[in-house]
Amino acid sequence: MDRKHYGAVSVISFWLLAAVSVAAGFVGAMSGMGGGIVLIPVLTFLGVDIKHAIAISIVSVIATSSGAASAYVREHITNLKIGMFLEMFTILGALTGASITLVSAQRPLVILFGIVLLASWATLFVRRQEDYQPPTEQDGVSRWLEFHGSYYDQAVGQEIEYKGVRAYIGVPCMFGAGLIAGLLGIGAGALKVLVLDLGMRLPPKVSTTTSNLIIGVTALAGTSVYLAAGLIDPGLVAPVMIGVVTGALIGTRLLVRLSNQAVREFFLIVLLALGVEMLVRGIRGG
Amino acid sequence: METLIGYILLAGVVLSMALITAGLVWHWLVTGRLQAEYVIRGTNLLGFAVLAVRQIISGSFDSRTVINLGIVTLLLTPFVRVLASVVYFALAEHDWKYVVFTGVVLSVLTYSLFLR
Repeated sequence: MDRKHYGAVSVISFWLLAAVSVAAGFVGAMSGMGGGIVLIPVLTFLGVDIKHAIAISIVSVIATSSGAASAYVREHITNLKIGMFLEMFTILGALTGASITLVSAQRPLVILFGIVLLASWATLFVRRQEDYQPPTEQDGVSRWLEFHGSYYDQAVGQEIEYKGVRAYIGVPCMFGAGLIAGLLGIGAGALKVLVLDLGMRLPPKVSTTTSNLIIGVTALAGTSVYLAAGLIDPGLVAPVMIGVVTGALIGTRLLVRLSNQAVREFFLIVLLALGVEMLVRGIRGG
Repeated sequence: METLIGYILLAGVVLSMALITAGLVWHWLVTGRLQAEYVIRGTNLLGFAVLAVRQIISGSFDSRTVINLGIVTLLLTPFVRVLASVVYFALAEHDWKYVVFTGVVLSVLTYSLFLR
């Protein structure tokens, strides 16, 4: 056992780890992402090496996803059919990404990912004042796939109906999102929310909650690779999982009360932070 | 379907939290430390799960096994969710294209569980 990364993790850190995990789960459930944005920097700061940190983060994504989705699905906000259809492509992308991660150069990818995130942030930021309008028309493929739904929005006190469109864009983009998640071990949710929101024109709440559902399965596909490599550390995973689930469940309570606008704005902040974090990490080579 | 899937996810989360917490408390009672220090040797998820279950059945297990079982339960929750949806689409909704879609996900997940 490599004791190097235990040197910095003492009993004090157990509670710090748990507290940070709560924050990670909260952020993840509210933004449709996995929480790695919070977890990985803190873990590396505590002395855990990046590979172990990524492995723990991937496992925590499954926890965030299951915790958040357990609430969102029961609230009928997550669109199960859209999620389950697109999962096919994210999971294939994730397995592909995880298997080529060993031969690919990490740093340029991380930088590229950061740039993509920041570009996406800019696109969404410019549009941020627009109220959500459901698309009026739907292409044949999306209709055949039954990409429509409705949910009760607590913030406005109304049932909102919507249709998902452009499934043909969603498919390759979801494969790409899964690929990046498998390659880099992070970024499960950010691109997915963007595809669902900008690409397929789902309401922000539906995009976020459906992304939460998808990322769990995507992360699970990648987990086996890390498990086989002996990179998953139960001593650290245990408190992280508990914290993350707790935070996620708290986050779900808040999101259902927020307006679509607020959800989108929160996502924008997290997206910006993640993009910057990726750029910094890629440039510094950490 | 939302109810079914939602409760499967909730059950998985609650059960795994209970197991992990119980394991951590047991470990703390025995060793006085919250930090459980051990590794999971290179294995795939299925091998890991089978090992934990075998230990429970044989009666020779400790707090680490309980923690492992909790982790396994949480990891398998999305898997069970997909499995349930395949069955649901087939038996309840007879929506065959979604049986295929979820079936593909299930197959890929199963393959990854056996990955070495």
